Amino acid sequence: MANQHYAMVIDLNTCVGCNACMAACAMENETPVWSNRWRTYVHDLEIGSGDEIRRRFFPRLCNHCDNPPCMSVCPTGATHKLDNGIVLVDDDLCMGCQACAMACPYDARFDFTYDDVRQGREFYGALHHRAGPSVDKCSFCAHRVMQGLKPACVETCVGSSRMFGDLNDPKDPVTRLVASGVAKALLEHLGTRPNVFYIGDIERG
Amino acid sequence: MYYATQEIWTWWLAAYLFLGGLGAAAVTVSILTDLYFKSHKLLVVWGCLGGFVMLGAGSSMLFLHLLHHVAVIHVMNPLILLRKPDAWIAWGTQFITWMMVWSLLYALPYLREMPLFARMPLVGKVLQWSPVTWLSGIVVKFRRVVGWLAVINGVGTVVYTGLLLQSFPAVALWHNPGVPVLFTLSAFSTALAFLLLVLYLVVKDPADRPLQVFYERTDVIVIAAEVVVIFAFFQYTLHGSESARQSSQLLWTNYGWVVGFVLLGLIVPLLIELKAVTRGWRGHGPMVTAALLILSGGYLLRFYFMEAGVYERPYPPHGYSAYRQIQGPTDRAPVLTAIENLQVVTEK
Repeated sequence: MANQHYAMVIDLNTCVGCNACMAACAMENETPVWSNRWRTYVHDLEIGSGDEIRRRFFPRLCNHCDNPPCMSVCPTGATHKLDNGIVLVDDDLCMGCQACAMACPYDARFDFTYDDVRQGREFYGALHHRAGPSVDKCSFCAHRVMQGLKPACVETCVGSSRMFGDLNDPKDPVTRLVASGVAKALLEHLGTRPNVFYIGDIERG
Repeated sequence: MYYATQEIWTWWLAAYLFLGGLGAAAVTVSILTDLYFKSHKLLVVWGCLGGFVMLGAGSSMLFLHLLHHVAVIHVMNPLILLRKPDAWIAWGTQFITWMMVWSLLYALPYLREMPLFARMPLVGKVLQWSPVTWLSGIVVKFRRVVGWLAVINGVGTVVYTGLLLQSFPAVALWHNPGVPVLFTLSAFSTALAFLLLVLYLVVKDPADRPLQVFYERTDVIVIAAEVVVIFAFFQYTLHGSESARQSSQLLWTNYGWVVGFVLLGLIVPLLIELKAVTRGWRGHGPMVTAALLILSGGYLLRFYFMEAGVYERPYPPHGYSAYRQIQGPTDRAPVLTAIENLQVVTEK
């Protein structure tokens, strides 16, 4: 058994839609923002009808599933899962068939093309680390987590909407929120066993 | 919930699935015919070379749309199956590659006997090259083994085209065991149509009449089975999950699917072939027409299947693709709601 089983809880009641998470993620992971593609994206939604319309912000990212369909369809083994639950893409192995993007129920993957590699060099300058095209997605900032840091989006969240923790630690607030049933996963009926959980809107009387 | 189709795998993936299924089934049927029904040099050459060209063209469709072309080397390595036995694209790549190799080898002795290939500038010299002559002798000696190796990989390729779509859990239309069955039936039906065209338009040998009748009778059974599976899909999607119901709306309100595939690609050729096997036709015209309709129907089936795969999302789709959104759920009849509910996603 791994020492950690990382997961994220997102409280939709406290997300103010500032998009700081998107910006922090883009700078940390050098995503192709020039073509509006992000590892995490905050949807700005209007829910309801007539006079009962509410505005809600809904952050989206890879759910780092325990049974990831993106991994089983990957023909080269580029998509793989670490013992701590984080699902990663090996850019060197990825041939970009996009079967993973087709398999993902959470719309969490996007293509990173030859053109993006070129534009990335111009946009991010000398810091740009991407050498070739591949399919990209959120990595839970594995490089930061392995140094004991939180993912960039969690670190920067002004409303403390995003919480990152270890499900193998019973005292972790994330574990407690998931165990209590307050934080719920998305599309669980598909059998993906996601590790991103959402605290929904507070019920109105 | 939001319901949306995708624009990642579109017409070219349908072409890959169609050419893959058709080419592999053409190889399979032509070799089995040669081994167990009637030794038939021209049919094998057309089936195997035709299959080779179709598989090559289909695979090129996928290759050209890869993001990182050089990395394809990883999936070409047969050892990938030890590392990724759960990935159908890995299996499919190996099936396609080895089917092309074994089918070409099976046809090699026949190619060497045909003046057409012997006269070709480069091909003629290669065919008479001593290693190729030796290889041809080995194939003649182990003809049945080579044939079955091609057939096994051919059937694997055919079934793979369906299993590939089945491996995407988010789309109800694709993620069910009916898809490999449907695609397998369709592949063999289109292959029989292709080989009938070869027999009617290229070979034109009256001695092949029993073979033509056998193909036509088999094709009637295969198409009838395909109609049953399509009807089962209609029931499954109409009364299934919301994703399935949305797919049903997209398919059965589309003239391309209803008229192009179901009517002209299935029902009409079925009736034409039914008359051919019961009362017969005077000329070849009706059967050639039926074969062409079956071939076009085979592509339309896969094209609209890709088009109508509907994802269930907790949020509107976003990204590089211009997704279409279908609002749901709705209790109204699918036929009435499909078109009016199609709209471009709008977010604040």
